[in-house]
Amino acid sequence: MRWATRAGLHIDRASSAWLIRRFIDPDAVFVFVSGPEEVPADATPFDMRGVEFGHHGSDCTFETLLRRHDLLDPALWRIAAIVHEADLEDDRYDAPEAPGLDVILRGLSMTQDDETVLALTGPVFDGLYDYYQRSLLLGKEPPS
Amino acid sequence: MVTSPASRLRWVTLVYRVPRTPSTPRIAIWRRLRALGVAQLGDGVVALPEDARTREHLEWVAEQVLEAGGTALLFRAEAMSRDDERVMAHAMASARAEEYRDLTARANVALAVPSSDQARVLKRLRRDLRTVQRRDYFPPPERDQAVAAINALASALLAADAGAGADRSLAEEFS
Repeated sequence: MRWATRAGLHIDRASSAWLIRRFIDPDAVFVFVSGPEEVPADATPFDMRGVEFGHHGSDCTFETLLRRHDLLDPALWRIAAIVHEADLEDDRYDAPEAPGLDVILRGLSMTQDDETVLALTGPVFDGLYDYYQRSLLLGKEPPS
Repeated sequence: MVTSPASRLRWVTLVYRVPRTPSTPRIAIWRRLRALGVAQLGDGVVALPEDARTREHLEWVAEQVLEAGGTALLFRAEAMSRDDERVMAHAMASARAEEYRDLTARANVALAVPSSDQARVLKRLRRDLRTVQRRDYFPPPERDQAVAAINALASALLAADAGAGADRSLAEEFS
């Protein structure tokens, strides 16, 4: 399936693309557009204004994707907390990792094209996921 | 100072209206705008100097307003006169200056009254400093003063730790 999002990847789009490919649609192909009018008819838009998979209420796109796909994995919600704080900085979660990951993504998006940012950040999110899975091995509930 | 019109700032400007009730989404939107450090240009008119990040933030706020049943319009604006631009920047800078002064005062109090609490106070101050800096688009001189006061507290703490290494219980008795 094709997925479309705005060009100029930052943390919410990069992490959402990773989430889509790894947990929602393994065959996902990404298209980068500059506005809603450029979204191909057969593509599902995400992290754009006025679409289902965007910010809703106080959720960022990554959280919206988790909710709409009933993904309750606590390790994913731990990553969601980091993405949320890096993206919205509203202290909804305690995520000290957020400022660090934020500057890494900002730096990458300054020097690399979107495809490369996706290729480079995929293993980063894979690593975070495994890391938090291990730390949550003894079981914690995801935030509601 | 350069005064050519070409160097004038572009502002992302949000004109919005949120229904008075229910109040929860209205307050969430207000909090979000406050956290972003917007210039309040009037009732339901806010602006931020434009860059990729501020544009995206205000786009999402506009979306949040629509979801709350309100109306939202986004504009790219430019002050017609340099003076008006300065008025906007000054208002934003003085709002931040007040926050920095508060941080400086808290750091000075913690420095003057040594306590076992100092490390916790420092952590909190650094966190609050980051929060203020994120919404600081026109840094006032108070910023440097706050940074210096917090650094002074950090140095004092470091020195106290080094001194306390030999005899921690004694050091705590004197603190």
